[in-house]
Amino acid sequence: MGLSQRPQGSRLRSFRRLWPWFILLVVLGLVRLSKGAGFADAFALLSRPFWPGSAQREWIETAVRQDATSRLQLLEQDNARLRGLLELDRLSSGDRVQAAVISRTPSGWWQQLELGKGSFNGIAKDDAVIGPGGLVGRVQSVTPATSRVRLLTAPGSRIGVWLPRTRQHGLLAGLGTARPQLQFLDKEVQVRPGDLVSTSPASTLLPPNLPVAVVQSINLRGVPAPTALVQLIAPPDAIDWVQVQVR
Amino acid sequence: MARLHRQPICVASALLVPLFQLVAPSWLVLDGVGPSWAMLWLLPWALVDGPVSGGIAGAALGLVLDGLSLGDSSQIPALVLMGWWWGRLGRRGQPIQRSLNIGLLAWIGTLVLGLSLWLQLLMLESADALLQAWALHTTLAQALITGLLAPMVGSWQLLLWRRRAPA
Repeated sequence: MGLSQRPQGSRLRSFRRLWPWFILLVVLGLVRLSKGAGFADAFALLSRPFWPGSAQREWIETAVRQDATSRLQLLEQDNARLRGLLELDRLSSGDRVQAAVISRTPSGWWQQLELGKGSFNGIAKDDAVIGPGGLVGRVQSVTPATSRVRLLTAPGSRIGVWLPRTRQHGLLAGLGTARPQLQFLDKEVQVRPGDLVSTSPASTLLPPNLPVAVVQSINLRGVPAPTALVQLIAPPDAIDWVQVQVR
Repeated sequence: MARLHRQPICVASALLVPLFQLVAPSWLVLDGVGPSWAMLWLLPWALVDGPVSGGIAGAALGLVLDGLSLGDSSQIPALVLMGWWWGRLGRRGQPIQRSLNIGLLAWIGTLVLGLSLWLQLLMLESADALLQAWALHTTLAQALITGLLAPMVGSWQLLLWRRRAPA
């Protein structure tokens, strides 16, 4: 049995020299196991000043908006074609008149808007008034240059609505408060808070499939049928311009 | 000088009521409810010009305001009643025309107006509890803000009109 060329002491010394490298390897192993967590975080910290700015975000948002708009146009064309096949009254989006709100009383005894356009611009009684976000009310009376809108919140306001998720009809009645009451026609309702309320897809009096409100709370013990309180999507107290769907 | 209803400028001042009704300043509201501009104008008018003139002015204002507002409920009964009553009170002289009294009279008048509208709502619309709660809230809020504004607006109007038509 031959003797080793190196003494025992020198082997120990070389191990001592190498142990930091072993620790480094272990650390890198941990980095590997954690999918590079430390590296990614450090990179994020260092590269933060060079991240894409608002301009780039706007480009992307514009692209997304354009995509959504073009899809909407295609869907509207498709919808108009299908409604034509079903021989429902056609209310094309081109028949909308822009009108300024010249007087506004969203609360109090009479909840109404006064618009700066009237029968000269083709507006007639019962035309639907649409604000940013959805239906606001219906034209109650017109003069040659103005029209008066009864808001959906006004006492006495009643329109037929549709719940797309549960495919049920209801009656939206104004109570004077900011939240109108949705009166169901059926005893059995599967509606939930957060459900969208829109105009009926088969509506001929109002523009079809127009968002109106979101369900806030439900009273299942209502007589003769359950009721719900809804929050309107278009806030009438903050609207300066509306669109009137003329017929 | 002639009585108020014989002075065109005083009669023309009634046009401010529908104007303010339409302008509806959003900063002058109490919990979303604005004051009754008709009551604010009618109170000093009736106090100065008497019950008959007050009643007729109330009816005239009511006709204009009913034309400007939606629905079937009318302000005319309350405005006529208040115009006539305030006209009778005006004959009692100066004590009734102090600022606090003006505020109190306007508060009572607007309360009567609110109750009359509430009654009409009960007859014409449903008796839903939420609707009643809203009507109570609107009545009280409108009466309060009108009562608070009346000492400022009404006293100034009284001073002006008293000079033009001394008792």
